[in-house]
Amino acid sequence: MTVWDVSLHKRLRHGASHFELDVQLRCELPRVVLYGPSGAGKTQTLRMIAGISRPDAGHVRIAGRELFDQASGLCLSPQDRRLGCVFQDYALFPHLTVRQNIAFGLHRSWRNPRRVARDPRVERWIEQCRLQAVAGHCPHQLSGGQRQRTALARALVNEPSALLLDEPFAALDKGLRQRLREELLELQVTLQLPLLLITHDDEDLRCLAQTVVQIEGGRVSDDALISPPLHPRARPQVRPQGL
Amino acid sequence: MNIRPLRALATFAALLVNLTAQAGDVTVSAAASLTNAFRDIAPLFEAAHPGARVQLNFGASGALLTQIAKGAPADVFASADQLRMDQAQTQKLIKPESRRDFVRNTLVVITPVSAASLPHSIEDLARAPFARIAIGVPASVPVGSYTKDVLQAAGLWGAIEPKMIGASSVRQALDYVARAEVDAGFVYATDAAIMPDKVKVALTVSTAKPILYPVAALAGAPNPAEATKFVDFLFTPAAQAVLAKYGFGKP
Amino acid sequence: MSAAWVALALTLKVAGWATALNLVFGVAVGFVMARWRFPGRDLLDAALTLPMVMPPTVLGYYLLVLVGSQGVVGAWLLQHFGIRLIFTWQAAVLAATIVSFPLVFKAARAAFETVEPQLEDAASTLGIGAWGVFFRVSLPLAWRGILAGLLLSFARALGEFGATLMVAGSIVGKTQTLSIAVYEAVQAGQDDSANFLVAVTSITCVAVLLSAGRLVPGRVIARA
Repeated sequence: MTVWDVSLHKRLRHGASHFELDVQLRCELPRVVLYGPSGAGKTQTLRMIAGISRPDAGHVRIAGRELFDQASGLCLSPQDRRLGCVFQDYALFPHLTVRQNIAFGLHRSWRNPRRVARDPRVERWIEQCRLQAVAGHCPHQLSGGQRQRTALARALVNEPSALLLDEPFAALDKGLRQRLREELLELQVTLQLPLLLITHDDEDLRCLAQTVVQIEGGRVSDDALISPPLHPRARPQVRPQGL
Repeated sequence: MNIRPLRALATFAALLVNLTAQAGDVTVSAAASLTNAFRDIAPLFEAAHPGARVQLNFGASGALLTQIAKGAPADVFASADQLRMDQAQTQKLIKPESRRDFVRNTLVVITPVSAASLPHSIEDLARAPFARIAIGVPASVPVGSYTKDVLQAAGLWGAIEPKMIGASSVRQALDYVARAEVDAGFVYATDAAIMPDKVKVALTVSTAKPILYPVAALAGAPNPAEATKFVDFLFTPAAQAVLAKYGFGKP
Repeated sequence: MSAAWVALALTLKVAGWATALNLVFGVAVGFVMARWRFPGRDLLDAALTLPMVMPPTVLGYYLLVLVGSQGVVGAWLLQHFGIRLIFTWQAAVLAATIVSFPLVFKAARAAFETVEPQLEDAASTLGIGAWGVFFRVSLPLAWRGILAGLLLSFARALGEFGATLMVAGSIVGKTQTLSIAVYEAVQAGQDDSANFLVAVTSITCVAVLLSAGRLVPGRVIARA
């Protein structure tokens, strides 16, 4: 089954100049890396898959779920797409604690989760991401790694059907990056979540990619299946017992 | 030290001084009801006295008095009632020997020209269709004092005061009626005559004492000679003709 | 002196209503202008800021022409509802609202522009609808700036004179606000009364401005 079936076409206008985005990806394996220089259109692609911006034409299907189809007029709102997103700079809510940030998507009311509230789902992810010590802190008090893990936990607590990450390790130092890469990989394998990662870092490629889609100037310039995977854990795996 | 900017500054300052009151200017603070008449009289005065310029300042007589009392550099004060002129005299603001009455006026009740109901007497104003009545604020506007005196004498002030829309001058009362924002208003006959297309006179109201306008030269006048000349000019046939044209009576 | 308290109570009522109206409209318009680009947006912004720079008497005149008994809006109100807006405290509220609207709208727009749109995007991907995003993310991060604008607009509404005098007149207990009462006292040569009214007004305004100043430091950092 095709996990990622995305075709996007959009004309973007920046003042006087045009930028045409024309991206296709069809991948049967869950982990895709969008690779390319800055300005290539990777973030725009992610925004369109997430539903934040709307393409002029195309379709978006993930793991059999249809999220957007210009031909039939279907366009699910970002709220309805059930995708977990980790943005560049993480987009953590500065006025809420780590716990409240993670709990954010669980409450549909017009009020934020209360500071003192304890939801078992939230607590589980705080533990999983080793954020117990800082759960009551606000984002500006956190280190880069803690922010990244908070953003990830926030995206995952909602049980999304897929995960989209925009340069999640860019702001971190090398040692931390490697550790978090491995953690992300383990998470993906455990949850069997389709994962789309944007990066311009080779190491991310090597560690995480099953398919690499190279984007340059708004177009896909190379579409390669990495075989064999260079990292042992990156091989498609049977779900481990007991999890 | 650089002389040039200083010189320029001095020249500029001298010019400024010159731009303000020149010898031959006369500043006249006059009641609002005299607006049109005095605007016509001013060029006649300037023609008769070459080199003289008239600066006109109109407002409610009470407000004008306050300005003068606080040191406004006026030369002549023309009030719409004796009370404000008496107050000016008590406060030693005028030259008493120059004080004379120069015109007479009448109090009238006007309604908007589109008004459905007209009052047949001032008692009617206390009744239903007249919900809003424009009356000059008695504390500062002579037409308001006259109105209040008349209404109090008739025992109607208690009934009418809640409906009163206070006007800051007689011309504002006129404007309220002209815009049909009020159902009726108390103004002078001369004011009603200015806007025959927008207001109509419903009643002429007799006042206990005749409405006589006094004029006087001010004690602190910057231009005393011109002040006296202007006051005297108001009694010339030319000026009196203008005043009569606007409906003012002879004192 | 009791007239002064009546005038103060009325002034606070008028300014309070004007600020409440501006809270709703100013924040709404500020948000729209901060988030949506459309042709003519700058022109609209300038038009909405106009009441701040226009002389109050000019504004008052336009209002008078519009909502007076013979005006487009006024005649309609009179015909359909029997409402005469001129010389009512509601007209005073209208004048005060319009005059101080730009203070709230501009502060709100600036405050919302400091909120990263990405935060709002993140909230929507987490499943929160547009109203939820506004009340849970945008408003909490912008409220300090908005509140400072509201206090300034309250102070401005307190002092409104020219436009108010034109459309609301000067009726003791109904439309005679503090500023108008001062004017009338001066006109009538009642210095004692004027002094007292001026003192009351000044103290109120200073108190309001001090509160506004307190809110400006201690900004919430609207970036994570």
